[in-house]
Amino acid sequence: MSIIGCESSGFHTLFTKAVYSKGVAESMVEQPILQMKDIRKTFGNVVALNNVSLSLNRKEVHGLLGGNGAGKTTLMNVLYGLYKPDAGDILLDGEKIQIRSPKDAISHKIGMVHQHFLQVDSFSVVENIVLGTPLANNPRLDLAPARKKIGQLAEHFGLEVETEARIEDLSMGIRQRVEILKALYRGVKILILDEPTTNLTPQEVDHLFHSLRAMVNAGMSVAFITHKLREVLSVCDRITVLRQGETVFTLGRSEADEETFVQAMVGEEMDVGDSLIFSRQRGDESQPAPAAAEPQPPTLRVQDVCVLNEAGLPAVDGCTFTAHQGEILGIAGVAGNGQLELAESIMGIRPLAAGEIIINDTPVSTAKTVDLLQDLVTYIPEDRLQDGYLPTATVAQNLILGFHRKPTYNRHGFLKRRAILQASAELISEYNIITQGPNDAAANLSGGNIQRVMIARALSYPSQLLLAHNPTRGLDIPSMEFVYRKLLARKESGQATLLISEDLDELLLMCDRIATLYRGKLVGLLKRADFDKYQIGRMMSGVTNGK
Amino acid sequence: MVNENAGRILGLDYRKIANQTIPYVAAVGAAFLAAGIFIALMGFDALKAYNTILFTSFKTTNGMVQTLLKFVPLVLQALAFTVPFAAGKFNIGGEGQLIVGAIGATGAGIIFSDLPAVLLLPLVILSGALFGAIWAAIPAWLLYRFNMNEILTTVLMNFISFSLIDYVATKVWRDPAAGHPTTIPIGQGGQLPLLISSPPLHAGLLIAIFVAVVIYIYTDKTSAGYELIATGANPKASRVYGINVPRIFILSLVLGGVLAGLSGAIEVSGSHHRLIEGLQSNYLLLGLIIGLIAKGNNLAVPFVALFIAILEVGASAMQRTMMIPGEMVFIVEALILVFVLLSDVVRRR
Repeated sequence: MSIIGCESSGFHTLFTKAVYSKGVAESMVEQPILQMKDIRKTFGNVVALNNVSLSLNRKEVHGLLGGNGAGKTTLMNVLYGLYKPDAGDILLDGEKIQIRSPKDAISHKIGMVHQHFLQVDSFSVVENIVLGTPLANNPRLDLAPARKKIGQLAEHFGLEVETEARIEDLSMGIRQRVEILKALYRGVKILILDEPTTNLTPQEVDHLFHSLRAMVNAGMSVAFITHKLREVLSVCDRITVLRQGETVFTLGRSEADEETFVQAMVGEEMDVGDSLIFSRQRGDESQPAPAAAEPQPPTLRVQDVCVLNEAGLPAVDGCTFTAHQGEILGIAGVAGNGQLELAESIMGIRPLAAGEIIINDTPVSTAKTVDLLQDLVTYIPEDRLQDGYLPTATVAQNLILGFHRKPTYNRHGFLKRRAILQASAELISEYNIITQGPNDAAANLSGGNIQRVMIARALSYPSQLLLAHNPTRGLDIPSMEFVYRKLLARKESGQATLLISEDLDELLLMCDRIATLYRGKLVGLLKRADFDKYQIGRMMSGVTNGK
Repeated sequence: MVNENAGRILGLDYRKIANQTIPYVAAVGAAFLAAGIFIALMGFDALKAYNTILFTSFKTTNGMVQTLLKFVPLVLQALAFTVPFAAGKFNIGGEGQLIVGAIGATGAGIIFSDLPAVLLLPLVILSGALFGAIWAAIPAWLLYRFNMNEILTTVLMNFISFSLIDYVATKVWRDPAAGHPTTIPIGQGGQLPLLISSPPLHAGLLIAIFVAVVIYIYTDKTSAGYELIATGANPKASRVYGINVPRIFILSLVLGGVLAGLSGAIEVSGSHHRLIEGLQSNYLLLGLIIGLIAKGNNLAVPFVALFIAILEVGASAMQRTMMIPGEMVFIVEALILVFVLLSDVVRRR
């Protein structure tokens, strides 16, 4: 195992408490290394950033907190030269600079690690890191000096990697280290991390935070984008909260309590005290509604199911589980461990290589998707753009996809135009989809709104089983809350939900039981009373004989 | 968040209509302007040339009829492209499907030449549609079975059809009196009736209008048409939501073949009453241009087709009266397409 040190959360808390107070104290005396002043950026009619300011001190981890659509990533993309701001200045060491491209940013010693890594899968770690940098011994590709430098950086900051390993063989956590090393190798002094904890196990998250602290202690500054409050509270020295493209405030970690940050993130309209999302943070374990006392009959039975991937290799390898009426069953796991193949086999999109799937005592192993969609299953696909969206159609046409043959929308083969428009208008308002109306072009919708279309569609029809794969990806906090309440309503009315998610916090919050998928196998099934984030984290990285 | 009534007067969304029309008008204007510069540089009177191109169709009954006769194959060829296009498939084989449809219609018209019109006419027309469907079914099957690119196979099928028509017109039913590869005429009963006798305008016009209306209803108002559009928008998502995507692909291509075959049958049954090598003219290319200018919108196709028919008839008149090469109009048509496509790019910025 590559995970070092901080295995227990107790140690971690102590460790961060010790350092953030020091960071704040130092920041008082020095001039900020970087200032962004009154940055404004619009996309068409949408104001993504409305005069946002940010100052980054030396030797601090600065959290950029906010829900989806708050403008965090846009602001950092401006800093990294990916977007040109409409107005505003960027000052480095008090001097105004122009950043027109990532190349400019790197020459100013600003580096960024994106949510999706841009790496050459078939190259080794060292080849990926040096790619695009001048080599001293050009044209001879002698990587020995680079290897040495990377080794030193890795050791110094706790970012151990095998420099000769091929990228495609590495876990997401290690690939992220490569991405960070890429920036460090280019000598950046300011490192931007965009949602770095997505797809990491809790252990890997702790390890990452440890490394960030080491970088800051070595004189760097880190800007850390996240929507997870707990993360900024545990690692950041100062926190800037953004909401709807505006700065709410910047405060030191110790200057405000959690409640203040939460309220700043979600705005005045949402009642934080009553919310599901923050119930665990409040230590309120009673939420959401407890599971039914008596065992309920199973809705979905998956027995010894094997599914092959495109390469003909087993992606799901002998999975057996049941999802019961009135239950939310969670499937945890790092992306790419067979979740998509499992979901698609249940939906009848991918054939089973072995095993059986039964819904409500009816074998559906060879059922067609079109028949499954007849009141049995609804589906929120993981990749909304590829698997769920019709970009060149209208919003209404998107909302009826899969239900277009049902009597609600169809009579004698003709579409019921009026019924479709009315149902679409209702879904648009209920699910708060921001669009000009049912006939608006689907291409005009933002990512979060497309996700709302996915959810509105899946929940617009009653079904025995809801198969939701990363349903809240790209949603802001009130929308996540909305989705969670919808899932709970299903549960209370006795319907089953299979929630496949890479967001462990989401699973811990919502599920009655959590099974963990690792390399196509279910490696553990925990009941709500036994939920342990770190144990699930170990299972996610393939360690089954947990302590 | 819904702003249903924004920009609506009398139930019409005038802003949307304006948004869609303005780029077209601008593109047509820009194309004429650009081509006008060429015409002037060649030493001709550009204004007079445009007067001829645009208004020949409206000056005489003959011009009008010529235009409508041009309109029939153009609208069918354009639909033969736009229907598969709606499902995301490219049928570039309308020419071959027209030729084979014409062969089918001619064959039926010659073999059963003694049948009365009430039997022979439907037989000729339907046989054309069927042969066009078969010709399109071959690329469709190759796509389904071997995942062969339909753009390639439909184009290549055109070349086979050239040899086929040559064989039929010179060997099978050759008319020895004709100097050009031509078959003997089909039976009297297989000829489309005339709507106007002088100048002759056959009833193929009604078939074309009827088909255009049916296709519009099919693609815009039915669940089957919805599946076509959904598949074109995103085949993977359509599959995930239960649509039989391979079937839609095949269906759309075969339907394209039916439409193109129909255009061939009407050419035989209405205009020539026999098979003539070269009867496909440049309808395929014009059909593609119409379909692309209409951006695949089946409601817009008939109107664009009519406009192109006007230009085509005007072009012949211009060539006759002013000695300006008729190809000039082809340049204008191509420029219109370029500017329509450009207007998309401009709008996106």
